[in-house]
Amino acid sequence: MNASVRTIGLNGRELLLLAACALAIVVFSIAAPAFGTPANAATILRNSVELLLIGLGMTFILAMGGIDVSIGIVMGLAAIAVGKLLEGGAPVPIAALAGPLAGMALGLITAAVVVLGRIPAIVGTLGLLGVYRTAIFVALGGQWLSGLPTGLTELLYARPLGIPVSAWIIAIAYLAAWLALRRTPYGPHLLAIGNAEEKARLSGIAVTRVRFATFVASGFLAGVAATFYVATYRNVEMSIGSTLALDAIAAVVLGGTSILGGRCSLIGTVLGVLLLRILQNGLLLIGVPSLWQTVVTGALLIGVLGMEAAAGRLKFSSIGQAAR
Amino acid sequence: MFKFAKQLLAATVLTAAATAAFAQDKPKVAFVPQLIGIPYFNAMEAGGKKAAEDLGVEFIYTGPVDTNPVDQLQIVQTLIDQGVNAVSVSVLDASSIAPVVEAAKAKNVKLFTSDSDAPDSGRAVYVAQATDEGLGFAIIDELVRRVGEDAKIGIVSGEATASNLNAWIGFMKARAAEKYPKLQLLEPQFAGGTAQRATQIAGDLIAANPDLKGLIAVASSTCPGVAQAIETAGKIGQVVGTGYCSPNTARSYLKSGAFGFTVLWDPAQLGYLTVWAGKQLIDGKQFEASNTIQGLQSPATYDATKGILLLGPPAIFTADNVDQFDF
Amino acid sequence: MNKVLRLDSRSVSLLILVCLWVLVIAGLAILKPAALGGAMLTSVLQFSTILALVALGQSLVILAGGAGIDLSVGGAVSLSAIVAMLLLKAGMPSVLLPFACMGAGLLLGLFNGYLVTRLRILPLIATLGTFFVFSGLALALTGGAAQSGVPQWMLSWGRGVWFSIPVPFLTATIPVFVLAAVVLGYTAWGRWIYAMGHNETSARLVGIPVDRTRMILYALSGLLAGVAGLVSLAWLGSGRPNIGQNLELESLTAAMLGGIGIFGGRGGVGGVFAAVVLLITLKTGLLQLNVNTVWQVGIVGALLIVVLLADRFYQNRR
Repeated sequence: MNASVRTIGLNGRELLLLAACALAIVVFSIAAPAFGTPANAATILRNSVELLLIGLGMTFILAMGGIDVSIGIVMGLAAIAVGKLLEGGAPVPIAALAGPLAGMALGLITAAVVVLGRIPAIVGTLGLLGVYRTAIFVALGGQWLSGLPTGLTELLYARPLGIPVSAWIIAIAYLAAWLALRRTPYGPHLLAIGNAEEKARLSGIAVTRVRFATFVASGFLAGVAATFYVATYRNVEMSIGSTLALDAIAAVVLGGTSILGGRCSLIGTVLGVLLLRILQNGLLLIGVPSLWQTVVTGALLIGVLGMEAAAGRLKFSSIGQAAR
Repeated sequence: MFKFAKQLLAATVLTAAATAAFAQDKPKVAFVPQLIGIPYFNAMEAGGKKAAEDLGVEFIYTGPVDTNPVDQLQIVQTLIDQGVNAVSVSVLDASSIAPVVEAAKAKNVKLFTSDSDAPDSGRAVYVAQATDEGLGFAIIDELVRRVGEDAKIGIVSGEATASNLNAWIGFMKARAAEKYPKLQLLEPQFAGGTAQRATQIAGDLIAANPDLKGLIAVASSTCPGVAQAIETAGKIGQVVGTGYCSPNTARSYLKSGAFGFTVLWDPAQLGYLTVWAGKQLIDGKQFEASNTIQGLQSPATYDATKGILLLGPPAIFTADNVDQFDF
Repeated sequence: MNKVLRLDSRSVSLLILVCLWVLVIAGLAILKPAALGGAMLTSVLQFSTILALVALGQSLVILAGGAGIDLSVGGAVSLSAIVAMLLLKAGMPSVLLPFACMGAGLLLGLFNGYLVTRLRILPLIATLGTFFVFSGLALALTGGAAQSGVPQWMLSWGRGVWFSIPVPFLTATIPVFVLAAVVLGYTAWGRWIYAMGHNETSARLVGIPVDRTRMILYALSGLLAGVAGLVSLAWLGSGRPNIGQNLELESLTAAMLGGIGIFGGRGGVGGVFAAVVLLITLKTGLLQLNVNTVWQVGIVGALLIVVLLADRFYQNRR
């Protein structure tokens, strides 16, 4: 079992991404004078919040050999809970907490279907994606929640010690994730499951419990993202979160977490999200139409993985076996 | 499983039988929006329902859950097969409607367009909120009044494939080129359907163009995102936001100053006019050059050469008058 | 038909599908007898054509195992249709339009195959990347505008109906499904595919050219997407940059409902065909009954979960 947890000390992929980020920043700063301003840096970071949180959950899910294509819609449903409470005049802290709670509840459903029902994660979450989408339609009833009160926005964009609350929460989430991976049995167990679930089961790991907990944790993080979404946009629309799941998978895989499980990188996920957002922002700033942004995301994914493959770093004797 | 299925079936049979008995013999008018679950089309549905009650027709409202032309086509086709008397469509893409126009003719179903047109498709009439030209011109004229003639203006649209939105953008460009040569319209950016993407792109546009004076949200789904970007960038007063946004969606942004004004018609009135037009077509009546219709604020004009039934000029909403409207 | 049934005898999903289909039809017959008829048949088959073609490609890729999946099918449909129309605009003779469309699809599929078999990028990731690239390119190259100018002779193929059956369904979908069923059921090549999906290591050991077969399957999935793009052109009369939207998830749903095992080696194309027709009939039936479309996605999603749970339950009992 070669399940190395790489969270400190940068590995090759992380260095590559760091270099790519640096290069992108230098190039865009030269090409577009507006890029290097503090205001623009703040814009990029603000646009990364949801993807950073959802990406963190996705990192864990992918590392244990799972996947969740419904997670963006989970965020949407949790956002409806937050928005409805705000609209109904509930106290701000309660509305803020409703997001993570609703996310966790939905995470429980996902876990029940995928883990207890023992349906392959990609198919199970695909089915749930449809069910959750209908739930969003029904919950919103066609009316968007818009122009919500600003109480939550003020709370989450306060700056204790000069740093925005969003940055604090993301830092805490990643720190907690790092501790769970490095300092508790959960980390090695998670990666062992990702490497070979059956072996992990035979060696006495409580596979069901670990997988269950991971899906619930991911739902929780999506719920936190939902609270931020409502705070930032003060709006919940019908198509909320529809592109987030695939974006998150792209960012996490870009960051070096292996979808075959057994390898995961938290720093890589952060760098993957930031690189995507920097490129999207920078390309628009130098005048590339926004329609090219998805092309760039895809090309980046193929390019980075292809380069690594060409360099011979990925050595799978048989991907078929690894997938089982 | 089987028992449950039987019960379910029995229950549905009962309810369906009840509704069928209730709704017999009334002519049926259907409206297929571009997308369901958005406030704009919901308002049209409400207006259509009201007209159906007033005019004694049965009104069917059903549409796709994604802005997917094939799904829309399937819905229109099913309505035709179902034997409704008239179907109106807010067309997602003008070119793809052709197959069902022929099917409708074969079954003697009156197929017409409403809200978004497919010219040259053979549709019976186009029920328009305002001309595409009028909408494109209005927003540019109003914006120039607020930001001056030599301003730089960004455009954020929704789906790149929506033909009505693209038509409006085309007329915005035409107006700028013809009347305000110093006005600099940036190339339109497309945000798809989410507020998040709209905010991201609007924010990027503001960052990229520090001298930006105006920002236009073309799709109603981009309105909150564009306004939010102006607010979070702290550019209220420097960048004037606007768009084709309903008063309810734009209210808080008009009041905060992120939006200077918005342009829209009353979609409920458009829904009313749509059902009225459907009834006229079913009855085989001609449209007059000017039609005074009970339930509508102003008479609807008909352009026989283009086959366009026009609701009237669009309304301009500002912080001062927005509270008078609720849609 | 017997062959198909026997292939799927290990799973109950096909049985569930047929029961459901009968239920939908029976429900419709009771509630809306007028709806059943030639018009409905035409409509269901017309809207099944594109999904069936794409779902077949998806199923073949999954069948061969190796964590096979093709998320790029929808993007490939859009892009092949757009590329063909752009070539036409650039002066290509219109006779070549079908070949350009299918050729473009084939090349896109080969690219997927290259990424998966040569660079050994996991299919889910490789095709997620190409999904972004293909669907993005179709939009970016056109700025979102529909590309008109499909020649008249293609329209009469795409919109033709023979005895209530749409011509593209008759001339494209049926032949490829029959061909696929025959190849999978009666040729060595078909047995290779099942063997690969069932156990790749032993397949390699007995000398099956696993990588080449897999490359061909991805290319086929692309080619079928190209055919689907062609059908869309001939039917709608224009190339739409987002015509393939959602097809990746819909084709996956159809394949899974049709009894294709996600890990490969299990299922047959007959089930996929049944699943496609069921999905479209269900959609049409719900529309006929004026059930709000928001329930469609949820019902299909729930159906997917229930069928897989039932399948799992059945397997556990054995």
